[in-house]
Amino acid sequence: MLGANWHNVLVLFLWVTPHVLLAVAAAVIWNRRLYREYPCFFAYVLFRIATFILLFTLYCMESEKGLDYKHAFAVTLLCIIALSFGVIDEVSRHLFRESRFLKVSARRLLQCVAGLLLPVGVVLAVYAPGNNTIWWQACISAINRGAAMVQCGLLLSLFLLSRFLGLSWRRLAFGITLGFGILACVDLAASALRTEFTSNAARDLLNLLTMSTYLVCVLIWLRYLVASEAEAAPPPVLPPNNEVEIWNKALQQFLKD
Amino acid sequence: MEQGASTISQGLISQALISQAVISQASISQGSISQALIPQGLVSRGLIAAWALVAVAFVALAVVLYVALRNRARPIDVAKAAQAFRSIDIDAFRNLVDADEEAFLRANLSPQKFREIQRQRSWAAFLYAWEAGGAATALARIGQAAQRSPDPQVAASGAQVAENAFLLRLQTIRACLQLLTAVVLPDLQGRSIPPLVDQYQRSAETLFRLGRFSSAGDPELVRPKSA
Repeated sequence: MLGANWHNVLVLFLWVTPHVLLAVAAAVIWNRRLYREYPCFFAYVLFRIATFILLFTLYCMESEKGLDYKHAFAVTLLCIIALSFGVIDEVSRHLFRESRFLKVSARRLLQCVAGLLLPVGVVLAVYAPGNNTIWWQACISAINRGAAMVQCGLLLSLFLLSRFLGLSWRRLAFGITLGFGILACVDLAASALRTEFTSNAARDLLNLLTMSTYLVCVLIWLRYLVASEAEAAPPPVLPPNNEVEIWNKALQQFLKD
Repeated sequence: MEQGASTISQGLISQALISQAVISQASISQGSISQALIPQGLVSRGLIAAWALVAVAFVALAVVLYVALRNRARPIDVAKAAQAFRSIDIDAFRNLVDADEEAFLRANLSPQKFREIQRQRSWAAFLYAWEAGGAATALARIGQAAQRSPDPQVAASGAQVAENAFLLRLQTIRACLQLLTAVVLPDLQGRSIPPLVDQYQRSAETLFRLGRFSSAGDPELVRPKSA
């Protein structure tokens, strides 16, 4: 009994807290007018809060068999997936913003990655549809798994590209991408397991895992939103003039035939 | 007698009933076995896919966290990047990827010896290209830092440096892939390695301009608000 109560309290905590923090994040974005630079992320945050209010209300009303809740959950999940792709597109535009060359070639590469992963998601949905007997829930589950896979691949490609090409991230774009990256990876693992392990215990455990990860990601976003304001003041100096001279000499030496 | 017959017949009937029950039980258990076998096959296939995806997700998570931590902890080290450029012997690199040199070796060595030598040459050239790629990455970061300078000339030069460095980096990646193929298949007549040296030259010119502007009076180049 006590265990069940603790579980309920934990679930309630993990459900409510991220959305309260997201409301704070939305306020910070609004105050600093960051919605001009990150409109999709702002829309994502607002939609997450609105979804929480809707689902929480439906949950408290406890309609018979919880069908309204399930339908609302499915529809909002699809919208969240669409918005997540929008946010990934937004951060990739920020990452490649300063290079005309990369704006075209790197974005084309990302499109190729998405184009490769999408058929894999479809094949997986057909090959391993899972144990869910209700067809629309099985569909939603397969879409969620496929989307998590594509998002995971895109975010991984963004991080690897930035590393290989020496691209500098903007602080907030980096925080958003890091949060989404962690969320997509854990979502992929959880959605894959959810299709196979449909018992109540497994479902509860996976829910706790995804909710905890979501809380961590919201904390990362909030940290980068607040930190970018606090740390923007003194820009460090690079490179000093004498070091540029060293560079020039090194390059001239390197190029001499 | 009648009682005895009835007893026997009852016994037969009960035996028949028992045997029927046994048969039905058997058929039920057969059915349940066959029912259990079919989903079990599906579950194992699904389970393989599920665990494979979990493994992929964890590897991806590890890579994301590693790159994120490295990105945070990595300052722009100009001297180290310059050192990387210095360490590359361009003449030796040219010689290693020279098509005429390769043709000469192919004509004058036995096939086995040629394969051995060619593998070593390709591997050495791969190491050169890899180092050049690292230097290009450093150059890109410096270019991006300069791009945020308040001086428009420095900013323009920084943009050019970064652009050239990106091109150079992609060329080194392409060259590395080609050279690795040559290590595995030394007999394969390779295509020419991308014009890395020309790209270096362009990068150097823009960097030289950047240095000149910077030395002329710009107090400092502002580093971007990187993560």
